[in-house]
Amino acid sequence: MPSATVNKHRPSELLSRLASADPEVKVRALRELKNQIIGNRTKKLSFLKLGAIPSVACILADSIDEVTESNSCNSNNTNNILVQSAAALGSFACGFDAGVQAVLDAGAFPSLLRLLANPNEKVVDAGARALRMIYQSKLAPKYDFLQQKNMEFLISLLSSEKENVGGLGASIITHSCATNLEQKALFDAGILRKLDSLLEGGSLSQRDASLESLATIFRNNPEVISKFAGPEIGRPFSSIIDLAKDRHPRTRLLACMCLIVIRNASPHFLQDIGIKTKIIHILLELLDDPGQVGDEAPFAFSILIAQKEDLQKLALEANAIDKLHHHLEKGSLHPRRFEGILLALADMCSKLESCRSKFLSLQVLNLVADALTDYNSGVRTAACVCLKSVTRSIKNLSAGYFMNEIIVIPLVQLFLDPSSSVQVAALGAVSNIVVDLTTRKSVFIQCGGMNQLVQLAKSMESSVRSNALWALKNFVFQADNRLKESVFSELTASLLSNLICDPEPSVQEQALALVRNLVDGCVNLIEFVFAEGGLILEAIGRQLQCASKAEIGIQGMYALCNVASGNEFHKEAVIQQLFTQMDDKNQSFVIKFLQSNDSQLRIATVWTIVNLTCTSSHGAPGRLEKLHNAGITSQLKNMVNDPCVDVKLRVRTVLGQSMAFGDN
Amino acid sequence: MSLFWIVIRQVAEIEEQMGTSKKVITPEEWEKRLNDVKIRKEDMNKLVMNFLVTEGYVEAAEKFRMESGTEPDIDLATITDRMAVKKAVQCGNVEDAIEKVNDLNPEILDTNPQLFFHLQQQRLIELIRNGKIEEALEFAQEELAPRGEENQSFLEELERTVSLLAFEDVSNCPVGELLDISQRLKTASEVNAAILTSQSHEKDPKLPSLLKMLVWAQNQLDEKATYPRINDLSNATLEDPAV
Repeated sequence: MPSATVNKHRPSELLSRLASADPEVKVRALRELKNQIIGNRTKKLSFLKLGAIPSVACILADSIDEVTESNSCNSNNTNNILVQSAAALGSFACGFDAGVQAVLDAGAFPSLLRLLANPNEKVVDAGARALRMIYQSKLAPKYDFLQQKNMEFLISLLSSEKENVGGLGASIITHSCATNLEQKALFDAGILRKLDSLLEGGSLSQRDASLESLATIFRNNPEVISKFAGPEIGRPFSSIIDLAKDRHPRTRLLACMCLIVIRNASPHFLQDIGIKTKIIHILLELLDDPGQVGDEAPFAFSILIAQKEDLQKLALEANAIDKLHHHLEKGSLHPRRFEGILLALADMCSKLESCRSKFLSLQVLNLVADALTDYNSGVRTAACVCLKSVTRSIKNLSAGYFMNEIIVIPLVQLFLDPSSSVQVAALGAVSNIVVDLTTRKSVFIQCGGMNQLVQLAKSMESSVRSNALWALKNFVFQADNRLKESVFSELTASLLSNLICDPEPSVQEQALALVRNLVDGCVNLIEFVFAEGGLILEAIGRQLQCASKAEIGIQGMYALCNVASGNEFHKEAVIQQLFTQMDDKNQSFVIKFLQSNDSQLRIATVWTIVNLTCTSSHGAPGRLEKLHNAGITSQLKNMVNDPCVDVKLRVRTVLGQSMAFGDN
Repeated sequence: MSLFWIVIRQVAEIEEQMGTSKKVITPEEWEKRLNDVKIRKEDMNKLVMNFLVTEGYVEAAEKFRMESGTEPDIDLATITDRMAVKKAVQCGNVEDAIEKVNDLNPEILDTNPQLFFHLQQQRLIELIRNGKIEEALEFAQEELAPRGEENQSFLEELERTVSLLAFEDVSNCPVGELLDISQRLKTASEVNAAILTSQSHEKDPKLPSLLKMLVWAQNQLDEKATYPRINDLSNATLEDPAV
């Protein structure tokens, strides 16, 4: 019986045999090394640490240079050394990035390339296989398709009869082809035709490799797609469509992914309902595959339906949500599969209320809530994204359906997650849930959610800051005074004014929107902006002067608008802000906003002016004069026929109000 | 008339009968219809060759090729290699089998974690079977435990196998079936299938599918007609319908 024990002394002993001068000993040692590492990630790592890879790379390089004499025994040994060392290097690189890096660092890549020109078939095969393993990793060197020599080499690879050599060509394309320019170069060189012929006549692995390469060349390139489809071919992409029904699951998946790439890039192809339904069914059925194919299928499904209501509807009719739920129920899922299914559900429920109702009726929510505490961060993030989609259901939000412990408590705990992407995703879900007008949000407050949000508003990560502010903005939306006051005292005026002037525009926007919501609805709340010497009001004025995008202007103006709806003192303070901040052309930002292309910005500005000049306030005439002197009244007169109805009506309101005081 | 002919004609005929409403078909009528069904000899030969090749009967395939002129769809030399692997597993020489697979195609075990685990598992079983308990323990710790760490779904299988070590009388314990010859055959079959797939060959022969088709088709037609049935696949006799 063969001894199966791995003697602890063996690894280093094995490596010393590699260095032997006797070629037969060397070959045996190489073969033994290869057999120990194939399939065994742990061994690959330990041999890597012992420096096996540079040793093998050295042997390979030396053996290639050996001139093979006519003595067949010697050349036999040399060939064996080449084959075994290439196989060992290939195995180190197979699915193991540290191995790929070590093989590249050891300088083995050029040696392996040279093997492709060797007269011995087995040597070529071993070299091609090893290179293929390297090219399956992102770490492989980028291949420059735009160089003529390289393109010729690639064509020679694809034209080879040998399966592994052709497969190498396809792997190189899948790995390195990135830009539209490269895609076009490959098309012009006739590569696509070659790949297409492999689809029809090639072996299983050749077909799979071609599907991946074709998808890479088609991605985001409608021009190449339509050139490939061409007017003269009867049923474009028929070979790919046929492969979507192939016996082998991996082929079906790759074919679907290729079709999805084509669909998404080009509005002309694969748009009929038949093909859409077919792809949906195939992907849902692939979920049943127990292996990697089943893990990847939900991701392909997401790419297919994301942002597309028509496809989401078709998928709903195909019972997608039931099927995804069924797989979730199975439990102990591979993390990748778990993540994929959650994201697929998130995409399904992102736009359609019918999908969300289905989701909630199946009691999927509990499974998703469980996923919030999964050990894998990708799964946690996906669970939050899923909740964010589902909590867009206004019907259920208003019924207070989501403001419960099962969901809120784990979500708030995720605010402290080590991963910032988990934090941001949790904030996204919470932002929806706190728009709850019925239950007084007690669960959220009780578990310290509000304080946590304020803490996150101070995060180093800008995306965390802006999402935390978004959640707070929603939290205080039409909330009662007491709640708003507690938020404000927790935040403080100085923090809020700093956030308004944050370096990140998205943070500025959310901070201004938060102020808008805080001061809305009650005159007493307006005092917030005057706290600590009017820090916030100043900050708003400053930020509006240098607003980098319309959204910032909109939120800031609405904040000012709300302040201006208060008493005389408030209105005076606002008008001061409008005019103390002047640019070098001595123009107030008000004019700039009124002239903006964005109708939302125009309307927000006009509303503010309406509030400043309303007839019931005795300071109105003075403010009107200021506005007139700044050229605003004439600007408004130019806007009486503004294309936006809201703007038109409010402009006329202002002009009506100014006439009531006697126009100048 | 070979059994094979009979089976194939039966399938073809039944499919044709599906369209009509329920009725009784006499044996004479049925025979007459069967005679009208045309089956090509070349197709039959291909099916036989496919069976021999997939199951790995190299010499029979060679002889059949010489005598019938039918070309196999894969290189017969590769069958020899594949059969050597299968045989090694069936005899319990798992380490030898692994080396042979890796010589044939190093990617197979590198990209098939489940197969690799089952081969390692078989190695452990063989060690236990031969009473090499110390070695078995060491092997389980060194080789199988990392597999369990790399992939959680193997842990349960691993625990079952290791539990063999806990029993005095292994042949009578709850996981005793692992020591059975059928476990070796299962593993051998798994390796065979993986090699076939890597060679882009279908891993299952066509003949069983044909027989399954026959059984299914007869069950379907039973709802519509009474007719002579094949009830014993091994002798393919047409049994007269019950009157």
